[in-house]
Amino acid sequence: MLKCDHCLLEMTEEKAVPDTINGQKKLFCCHGCKGVYRLINEEELGEFYAKRDSSWIPGPPDEGRIDISAFADIVKQTGNESEIDLFFHGIRCASCVWLIERMLLKTEGVKFARLNYATHKAKIRWDSSLVSLEKLLKKVNAIGYTPKLVTRGGSDEFTKARRDLLLRFGTAAFFSMQLMVFSTALYAGYFQGIASGTRTLLQLLSLLLATPILFYSGSPFIRGSITGLRNLNFNMDLLIVTGAGSAYLYSIYQIFIGGEVYFDTSAMIITLILLGRYIETGAKARASEVITRLLSLSPKETRLVIRNIEGREGSEKVEMVPVTDIKEGDLILIKPGERVPLDGTVTEGSSEVDESPLTGESRPVSKHQGSEVFSGTQNLYGSFVFEVKRRGEDTVLSHIIKTVEDAQARRAPVQALADRVVGYFVPAVLTLSFITAVFWLFSGSALTVAVMNAVSVLVIACPCALGLATPLAILTGTTRGASKGIFIKGGDVIERAKDIDTVVLDKTGTITEGKPELAAFKGLGISDNETLCLASSLELLSEHSIGKAIVAGSAGMQAYIVSDFAAYPGRGVKGYINGKPALIGNKNFIESEGVDDMLSEELTSWVHAEEDSGRTAVYLSYDGKIAGIFIISDTIRGEARETVKEIEKTGSSVLMITGDDNKAALSVAKEAGISEDNVAAQKSPSEKAEEITVMQGKGRHVMMVGDGINDAPALVQADIGVAMGRATDIALESSDIVLMRNDLRMIPETLRLSKATYNVIRQNLFWALIYNLIAVPLAIMGMLHPIVAAIAMSLSSLSVVGNSMRLKRT
Amino acid sequence: MWSVILLIFFTFCIGLAAWLLFLWSVKSGQYDDIEGPKYRMLDDDNDKKK
Repeated sequence: MLKCDHCLLEMTEEKAVPDTINGQKKLFCCHGCKGVYRLINEEELGEFYAKRDSSWIPGPPDEGRIDISAFADIVKQTGNESEIDLFFHGIRCASCVWLIERMLLKTEGVKFARLNYATHKAKIRWDSSLVSLEKLLKKVNAIGYTPKLVTRGGSDEFTKARRDLLLRFGTAAFFSMQLMVFSTALYAGYFQGIASGTRTLLQLLSLLLATPILFYSGSPFIRGSITGLRNLNFNMDLLIVTGAGSAYLYSIYQIFIGGEVYFDTSAMIITLILLGRYIETGAKARASEVITRLLSLSPKETRLVIRNIEGREGSEKVEMVPVTDIKEGDLILIKPGERVPLDGTVTEGSSEVDESPLTGESRPVSKHQGSEVFSGTQNLYGSFVFEVKRRGEDTVLSHIIKTVEDAQARRAPVQALADRVVGYFVPAVLTLSFITAVFWLFSGSALTVAVMNAVSVLVIACPCALGLATPLAILTGTTRGASKGIFIKGGDVIERAKDIDTVVLDKTGTITEGKPELAAFKGLGISDNETLCLASSLELLSEHSIGKAIVAGSAGMQAYIVSDFAAYPGRGVKGYINGKPALIGNKNFIESEGVDDMLSEELTSWVHAEEDSGRTAVYLSYDGKIAGIFIISDTIRGEARETVKEIEKTGSSVLMITGDDNKAALSVAKEAGISEDNVAAQKSPSEKAEEITVMQGKGRHVMMVGDGINDAPALVQADIGVAMGRATDIALESSDIVLMRNDLRMIPETLRLSKATYNVIRQNLFWALIYNLIAVPLAIMGMLHPIVAAIAMSLSSLSVVGNSMRLKRT
Repeated sequence: MWSVILLIFFTFCIGLAAWLLFLWSVKSGQYDDIEGPKYRMLDDDNDKKK
């Protein structure tokens, strides 16, 4: 198969557009790609093609058009210098970033251009007296990247919050480091003796350093605990503030009476917990980019069709209006290449629409009068007018965005486990400290002694490693997964994965390779070779996967010239070779074209046997006579049987679900070792999801594995959706786990990894608490020393970190 | 005693400098894209123009 030199799309030689660029012969799939290739070379950026790596996903350039006026509003002007922040659609790899930046920087007048690889956001600064914004954006658009407005503040606010957290954590970390230096000196002094003047100096310095940590870095916790207290809620924040705050106040008191100080405990609690929170936001940052990308799918402005202006019959005009002004029942005109802004029904015209962002279906869907169109989908060829039925929050796209937002907002239940532990822990510690005070009072001590001992219980009981226990385990678990090609989208997935008891596999593309192959063929009346040659000449022009299988099976053969080619979707193809009609298709197609397809009994039983074992038969006719039979098989993955056994070993049952007919499904199931009762055949995408709902109704925890195309609803419905291989954007969002390699063995691997991670979280919670709890009796007896607090602090942190690192070896 | 105070003063200054450097780096957005730079360093600058 030839590949387009620009977009790497596979194509046939007949369709290739040749061109000579810089003295080299190049082939392209279309004139668009040729144009872009020329443009990039003219700008002397041809190096791009050498730079881009194998991760490049082939695809035609995005045809979205740009409306400059929308961008003009967000330009920040200072003198002659302009600055804009925008979002580029169509960035696929690091080379794209390079290309766009270079393209802009080469333009005269551009002073600064920088693209954020993670968020696809760009900042451009230029001299507006030398170059216009329009020229810049058109230049980038010409090579296939569409500039978009940075939609909604969501992502910006998030960046701000993350930055704020980083500042608080960083500050705490720097001050803690300084503080630890003085603390070490104080520890040494505790054992070896220290001049009281020096000690007071060091203690005062510690106070100076601990203060900003508690009141600046710790202020979110202070606020959080006040809100918590108002609702009589003993939350994690309260524990942190009680621990850090009491250590701080206790130490101030101790400076005056010349005792030992605990500023380091106070500082480390806050620092470590901020670190844990910072790790957590990293995962959320990635999720919020998905939303930004989804939001960029719906246009801001659209063409409103206004009819019967001022009562004049038949008059009509089209106006560009903001999408927010559109009401239900309005008519909207969509031109080729534009995206549909809202959901509705087509009233005039027809076209083909790319719905892949919503459904994952990569083939364009034809739209004519009465068809429903959806927000975010892209119109490809024709123009049409549609009546708006749903707008704003009701569109399908908005629902998807909402689902993703909700998924982000919910906290990992594992975190909830930590919170639950804290919910018991805080009241218990408070009670214990109260009892301590009472005990000391009744045993005849002074009030100060009693209070100090009670406070020391609070100081020692607060576990600073608790905040790290969950995020650190999730971080190492997901990192370990990523290094194996398993992408887990957040901590809640790990929590749910441990309960999985049913694994549902899709047939096509999951259990099977998803790539049909020519298994056998027979010539009738003509030689086998001749049959194959005729068939492949015809199928060379077809886009169908069965056609591709036949072409692949005839590698190296000379092809005939085919004229008047026509494809009949779902049935077959037709063309003329040497002036005679040639047809390939299913039995019905051949019959309907008036070909006598009577086969000998022997052949009929052969075909039936093949069909029984899950294969597909297609027929070739030439010059009105049947000329050949082709058996196409979709091979089952080599590791399928082994994987099914592996999964069953982990205690889960394995089911298969497919849109194909029963016969094919059962034969594949048999080969993969899945029992007949566990097969559901002839299910549409929505029925697949229903099937999963039924299982969940029976109290089962379902993991759905699909190749992403048309499995999307089932992936969302399942407790855990796993997308395999190269899935589309929507499939990636619908799933919780993405497997980067097309290897089924990664499924049991995923199950094992999540279970291991969950166990480590629980162990971490234990280790984070145990040392502090052991030290509590010392505090009750009034024997707490700073060294004990320091040991408890470091041992619990070290245990949590060390235990989490074990995950690297699973 | 004075040497200790002097050293403490020095560590203070170094720590403060490092902290200010950190504040500056966060505020100038150096932590906003922690994914891109690793690819960026592999880009050779053929063009002199900056």
